[in-house]
Amino acid sequence: MSQTAPYGREVRIRIGGPAGFGIKAAGQSLARVFAQAGYRTFDLTEYPSLIKGGHNTYHLRVSADPITSHVMATDILVALDRPTARLHIRELTPGGALIYDPKDFEPDADADLGGRDDVCLVPVPLTRIVDDAGGIKIMRNVAALGATLGHMGMALDGLESSIRAQFAHKAPEIAAQNIAIAQAGLEHAQGAPCAFPFALPAAEQAGDLVLADGNEAFGLGALAAGVGFYAAYPMTPASSLLHFMAKHGDAAGVVVKHTEDEIAAMNMVLGSAFGGTRSMCATAGGGFSLMVEAFGFAGVSETACVVGLFTRPGPATGLPTWTEQSDLRFALHASQGEFPRVVLAPGDHAEAFEYTWRAFNLADELQTPVILLGDSYLSDNRATSERFDVEAVEIRRGKLVAEGDVQDHPDALAGDGRYARYKVTEDGVSVRALPGVEGAIQVVNSYEHDEFGYGAQAEEASIRVAQNEKRLRKLDLAASMVPPPNRFGPDDAEISLVFFGSTKMPALQALQWLHAEGHAVNAIQVTTLWPFPAIEVCRFLCDAKINLIIEGNATGQLEGLIREQCLHAVHHRLRRYDGRPFSPELIYATVKQLLGEPVELNAAGALVAKEDFN
Amino acid sequence: MPEAKAFTNTNKPTWCPGCGNHGMFLALQRALAELGWEKREFAMFWGIGCHGNGADFYDVQGFHALHGRSLPPASAYALTRPDQHVVVEMGDGDGYGLGLGHFVHACRRNVALTVIAHNNQIYGLTTGQASPTSDHLMPTVSTPQGVLEEPVNPIGIALAEGATFIARGFAGDIAHLTSLYIEALTHDGFALVDVFQPCVTWNKINTFAWFRERVYKLEESDWDATDRVKAFDLSLTAFHELTCAPDTCKMPIGVYFRETGKPTYGQSTPASAEPGWRRALHPRDVSGIMAKL
Ligand SMILES: Cc1ncc(C[n+]2csc(CCOP(=O)(O)OP(=O)(O)O)c2C)c(N)n1
Ligand code: SF4
Repeated sequence: MSQTAPYGREVRIRIGGPAGFGIKAAGQSLARVFAQAGYRTFDLTEYPSLIKGGHNTYHLRVSADPITSHVMATDILVALDRPTARLHIRELTPGGALIYDPKDFEPDADADLGGRDDVCLVPVPLTRIVDDAGGIKIMRNVAALGATLGHMGMALDGLESSIRAQFAHKAPEIAAQNIAIAQAGLEHAQGAPCAFPFALPAAEQAGDLVLADGNEAFGLGALAAGVGFYAAYPMTPASSLLHFMAKHGDAAGVVVKHTEDEIAAMNMVLGSAFGGTRSMCATAGGGFSLMVEAFGFAGVSETACVVGLFTRPGPATGLPTWTEQSDLRFALHASQGEFPRVVLAPGDHAEAFEYTWRAFNLADELQTPVILLGDSYLSDNRATSERFDVEAVEIRRGKLVAEGDVQDHPDALAGDGRYARYKVTEDGVSVRALPGVEGAIQVVNSYEHDEFGYGAQAEEASIRVAQNEKRLRKLDLAASMVPPPNRFGPDDAEISLVFFGSTKMPALQALQWLHAEGHAVNAIQVTTLWPFPAIEVCRFLCDAKINLIIEGNATGQLEGLIREQCLHAVHHRLRRYDGRPFSPELIYATVKQLLGEPVELNAAGALVAKEDFN
Repeated sequence: MPEAKAFTNTNKPTWCPGCGNHGMFLALQRALAELGWEKREFAMFWGIGCHGNGADFYDVQGFHALHGRSLPPASAYALTRPDQHVVVEMGDGDGYGLGLGHFVHACRRNVALTVIAHNNQIYGLTTGQASPTSDHLMPTVSTPQGVLEEPVNPIGIALAEGATFIARGFAGDIAHLTSLYIEALTHDGFALVDVFQPCVTWNKINTFAWFRERVYKLEESDWDATDRVKAFDLSLTAFHELTCAPDTCKMPIGVYFRETGKPTYGQSTPASAEPGWRRALHPRDVSGIMAKL
């Protein structure tokens, strides 16, 4: 087997059909089958903001080698309706297969196949199979899964156990019926008229993989960190984190509240954090817009809390189910006034886990809000990752007194022996004694306040200045604590890439391809957006011959930040703001262009074959 | 038992002389003293408004929230600090204007909170604009032609939304108010005490004298405080109009409604059994959940 360079030993499957056909669920079961067999997977779910009607697709990349993102190529297209074939036929690689039900449509050479004669037609009577087994229409997706495995020459074992697990809580006949349907689909496709040229090599024991989407990774990180309160109002792409927390809340000891709105969610976080509970909320840009006033309250009251800002294209309601990185400046500047904040942007699932537990430590040690900046591409899509490093999780609560008598902490007392919650200190952090601690009388205030938290006194200019400066001093401390940028590739490179957040995933994939071809390309991933790591980024750019900034917004928010913080010129830019994530192909092609070796992408954005399979 | 004045600090109250807030301040301190609550056993939450400035004068553990937003943080605090009592003070603009949504949902939830509303039917702190409880046609600086809306009926809303203790007090009767507070503070669930709190600076209509001529005590009538529907009916008839004469317009104070035995939100939330900060003593083991993904 050989594949279009530079793709690896992999197969790409797309399942498409009308909303309500269980496309995502089917795709995810398939991903689980491959992951359990030791393959690496990455999936991309694309769907409009509709429950019924509209076109949904699920794209699954399965590889025998480590991968970091989705790709645009497709080798098997499962069309649960005719529009799927029409919309996606151009994505099929030569030799790829179209699996369809002849009862839905018989592919028309021009309209459905776009004139292509290099694809393999695999008719599978999905409806008849389901009817024969006495099933219902939605079970066609199970028949299609069986057919996909059959066409790939794979056995049914994994799917069987996955089906059994999925229906464990139902009558045993249901699982048996579904397995029979999958088996029939598999047998049909085994007799396909053409051989499949992309057979997957046997998976090497890939070790202990976890198959999770970004929100599950965020949720696990929060749970590991000892979160005790989570509040949210549903908003894509953060909603599934609320579901995850709600599912595990009772057993884990987390009070989880679906609130009346985002204003309540953020204000609730403040109240529970006041009581010493590790507290978090998450939302998209629209919800964060409502949280902004309370976010500022967290700043002035020095309240430790974690806010997930998982962005989608905006402004206002924007494109709810698509992705973008256009809330970077919003995260940096949200709220009136000035106060220290930390903005972390995990780049993949493992980082979503790690940065979330770190965010709680940073919030506690700095006594200030921490934003976890994500996006739909990370939140929604599942990938196999090495098992998240739960052993590494630490809990550091900083200057916290949860029990006892505050008099035992002289550094917490004012000259007259009273507890001073906002005592002015050198590093800007005061001792935080919780309500309930003997002598810890304090007011947490949305107004500027004096060392005890009282508002009226702080209208004194000197008090305002002292408190404001005290808070802002924490930024220096923060700079020494936050995750440093990640660097990839050789020190000396022809081209140097800069990106943040989930762009890491396709960028690393492109980098892997470029390195395999012997190109010296390096990259820096800005993991902490605030305080901005100006020194590291500047050093990287100074060493770079040609730089390319890649970001998912139209106005160059990261680029502007670099100019402002590093006073450094930016040479080239790749921006995307059509709701789609960067593909590795696009990044690869852009770099190749800059290297003077242009490559071609087909209409679907996939690399055009350079060598044919045989 | 702490004395009432144990709950004041050395900061001087900034309320106007004669303001209804002074009486409410005193009544709450007396109630707290009577109940023998230690300062470390409870926390107070305030919204923004003249009432909220009390955050500076009480010597208690407190949280001076954003305008209209005292109920959400207080609720979350109550759910994650089951070892603490929670007292919320809010203004009428604050709690029934900006925060009305939170108020409705707080009533539904039956979180164990005592909510005291400073109802002066005007915006005090921002100098006399109409409030959601200002009377129909009352002229103010923001409504020179008179308020065109009907006033919000907080007692009726609380009744409609399932609140389990609902009372109305008057800042001019401190002894009566103290007794209402004690009942509210010991109620196991969401308790509302809406208090007529004359603003002597901006509301020249609903004055102490105006109320004195009109209020009567429910417990001095044959009022049955266990009937939600009757209480709702009463909340409608007790609406006052600018022009109503003392003999035709009677305004009940006292306990409109109480219901005991309904589980609180916290009691129905297993995770609420322990103070939330105890959940973060060690990393939580998530390997089991991870293995199931
Ligand atoms: C979001 C927001 N909008 C407006 C204000 C300004 N503001 C402060 S107090 C207040 C109204 C106060 O009226 P009320 O709640 O009736 O309290 P009172 O002062 O009468 O006790 C307003 C509008 C604010 N602080 N925050
Ligand atoms: S303005 Fe009114 S409510 Fe405010 S302190 Fe003065 S009298 Fe009281």
